[in-house]
Amino acid sequence: MKRIRLDRWATQLQPPRNPRLHLQRCPFSSETRAPRRELQQRQDQIQHQWQHQRRHATTRRKLSSTAEVLGEDASGAPIPPGTLQDGELAASPPPPLYAPSHRRAAQSAKLSALHARLSLPSKLPLQTLARCLIDPSADPRTGYNNAPFAVLGQDLLGYYTSEYLMCHYPRLPMPVLFAAQYAYVGNATLGAMRAEWGVEVVAAPGMEVDPGLLQLKRTVPGNAMMDGETRQLKEMPQAKRLGSGRRNEEHGYRRGMSSRIVFDDQFGDLQSGLPPADARPYPGAAISSPAEDSVEAGSEQQQDALGPVTTPPSQLQTPEETHAITVEAGSASFIRALTGALYLHAGSAASKSFHRDHVLSRQLPLHTLFHFTHPTRDLSRLCDREGFEPPVARLISETGRLSRTPVFVVGVYSGDDKLGEGAGSSLNEGRVRAAAAALRSWYLYSPPDTDVVLPSEVEGAAGTGRAKKQWKPQMVDYGEIVT
Amino acid sequence: MPLQALRTVAKPQNGVGAFILQCKRLDFHYCDWAGSSKGMNAFLTKTLPAFAARNPGIELHVSPRPGRHPVLRGAYINGCHKAICVRNMQPAEILDKVQLLKAGSGEKLRRERRPVKSANESVRGVWSPFHGGGYKV
Repeated sequence: MKRIRLDRWATQLQPPRNPRLHLQRCPFSSETRAPRRELQQRQDQIQHQWQHQRRHATTRRKLSSTAEVLGEDASGAPIPPGTLQDGELAASPPPPLYAPSHRRAAQSAKLSALHARLSLPSKLPLQTLARCLIDPSADPRTGYNNAPFAVLGQDLLGYYTSEYLMCHYPRLPMPVLFAAQYAYVGNATLGAMRAEWGVEVVAAPGMEVDPGLLQLKRTVPGNAMMDGETRQLKEMPQAKRLGSGRRNEEHGYRRGMSSRIVFDDQFGDLQSGLPPADARPYPGAAISSPAEDSVEAGSEQQQDALGPVTTPPSQLQTPEETHAITVEAGSASFIRALTGALYLHAGSAASKSFHRDHVLSRQLPLHTLFHFTHPTRDLSRLCDREGFEPPVARLISETGRLSRTPVFVVGVYSGDDKLGEGAGSSLNEGRVRAAAAALRSWYLYSPPDTDVVLPSEVEGAAGTGRAKKQWKPQMVDYGEIVT
Repeated sequence: MPLQALRTVAKPQNGVGAFILQCKRLDFHYCDWAGSSKGMNAFLTKTLPAFAARNPGIELHVSPRPGRHPVLRGAYINGCHKAICVRNMQPAEILDKVQLLKAGSGEKLRRERRPVKSANESVRGVWSPFHGGGYKV
C-alpha cells in the first residue's frame, strides 16, 4: 500500500510554477523570516509592486489577444484592432465585492493584532488571514471565501488528532474515539476557541466591515420575533433533512458503529451537504437514469409531496441566496481554514505545531467520556477473550451496613490480581463500579512515550530539514469486546 | 449498545501550548488644551511607538477627547473593559499604568481564598478511611 505523501498534497492544490511568469510567485510570501516590525512595510511594498505588475500584465495580455478575441462595442459591431487605449479592458467589469477587499487587509489594526496574538509565522500573509475570516455564507464564491482552506484544514486537524489518540491510546473503543475527536476539534470546541482568541463576529457581512472580524450570515435565533408582529419566527419549514449517503437509506436501517466509520464524518455524525434519499434531482441535472414519465406527467400537488429537490451547484452567486449559519459553525470553519492556509503557506511543520499549541494543549480527561451499560458482562467477556481467569467480585471493606449511609468497597479480581475497585452505597453498586473501573483501566492503556512514534513525524518531517524519527510499529489492539 | 460515549469539550489551558495575551485593545484619549494631559501627550509622541512595536498583538487606538482628563481604556478577550484616568501623570507613570492594563486578565479584582487551582484532584491521593491501616476507634 502506498504511503500517504502529505508533503506532496499541498503542491497539487497550487498552480504549476512557471518561472517565466513572474506573477505566479506568491508575492506575499517571504522565504526568509522577516522581523515583525518590518512586516507591514514589506507587505505594503509587495502589494504596490504587485498592483503595478498586474496593470502591466493586463496590457501585455491585451496586446497578445487583440488578434484573436475582441470585444464588441455598444452597438454590437466588432471593435477593429488597434483602437483599444491603454488602461481599457476588453474583459468584463471588476467582480462585485461582498466582503472587504484584500487591499484593506494590510491597513486593519485588528487583523495585524490577531496575526501577532496567535504568533502566526510571517510566511502567512495578512491577506490570506483576512480571507480565512470570510465564510461562504457571506460570500459564496470559492475564490473569495475560506471554504477551500477549510476543507484542507478539517482533514489536517482530524488527521493530527486521530493519530495522536490512536497511537497514545490504542485500546480506545470507537464511540469514545469519536467523542474524544469531537472534544478536541469538534464544532463546539472550535467555537469556544474562536472566542478565546478574541475574534469578534460581525452583526452583518458587508464591504465596509473591518477585515479583522469574522464575517458570516447569522441564523435568526429560534425564539426571535417577527418584525412588527407578536408572533415568533421559526425556521422549522426551512430545516433541511440530512442525507446519510448510504444505499437503501429509505428503509431506515440502524446506523451502527461500523456503518458510521464507513459513511459518516470524523466525529461519527452525518455528513453535511448530502441530499436525503427521496430528494429529486434539480431540473436539467445530468443523471444517468431517465426520470419516469408517470412522475413528470403527474399533477403539481403530487410533485410537491414527493420530496425536496437538490440545488444545482452554480445557483448561489450572491449572499442573499446563501443559507445562514450559526456562529459556532462559522468559527469552526474559520479555524479549519486557518490550519489549511498555514499548511499551504508555511508547510506541514507549521500546521503541526499550530495543532499542538492550540488543540493538544487543551485538557481532556478521557475517563469521563465512558458510559457503560453492562460493565460486568463486558469484563467477563474481556477476561475470557484474553485468557484471564474469570473475574470475581470480593468485598474489601465496608461500613455502616445497617445505617442510612453504608459504604461498600468492592474489588474485582482475576485470580489473585485486582483488576479494579469501586465504592458504592450497596453491594451491587460497588460491584458494578469496580467492573467499570477495571474496563476503564484496560481501555485507557497508554504505551510509554519512548515507544510512541506518530506517522506524521516520519512521513511529513521528510522535507522540513529536521532529523525525522525512526518508525516503530505502533500497537494495534485486537478490537472491541463483542458481547 | 454495550458502550456509549459522552460528548464534552476539551478545556483550554492558556500558556501550556500557545499563550494568548488577554488584553486585545488599548484606547488612549488625550486633550490638547487641558494641562492634565501634558504627560499623556508626551507619552503618545515619545514612548508609545516603542510600546506598539514591542506589543504587536494589542490593537492601539489614539483619539482626542477635548476638555476631559486623559484616559487609558483596555478591552479584554472576556469582553470586560478597564479604564484608568492618568491625569497629571508623567510619561513614566503612564507607562506603568499601561503595563498594568496589558498584564491584566479582564477579571474583576477579587480576593483569592484558595491559592492553588487545579483540574487534577491530587498527586498523592485523597485520604480514605477504608484503605491503608484502617480506622481504629
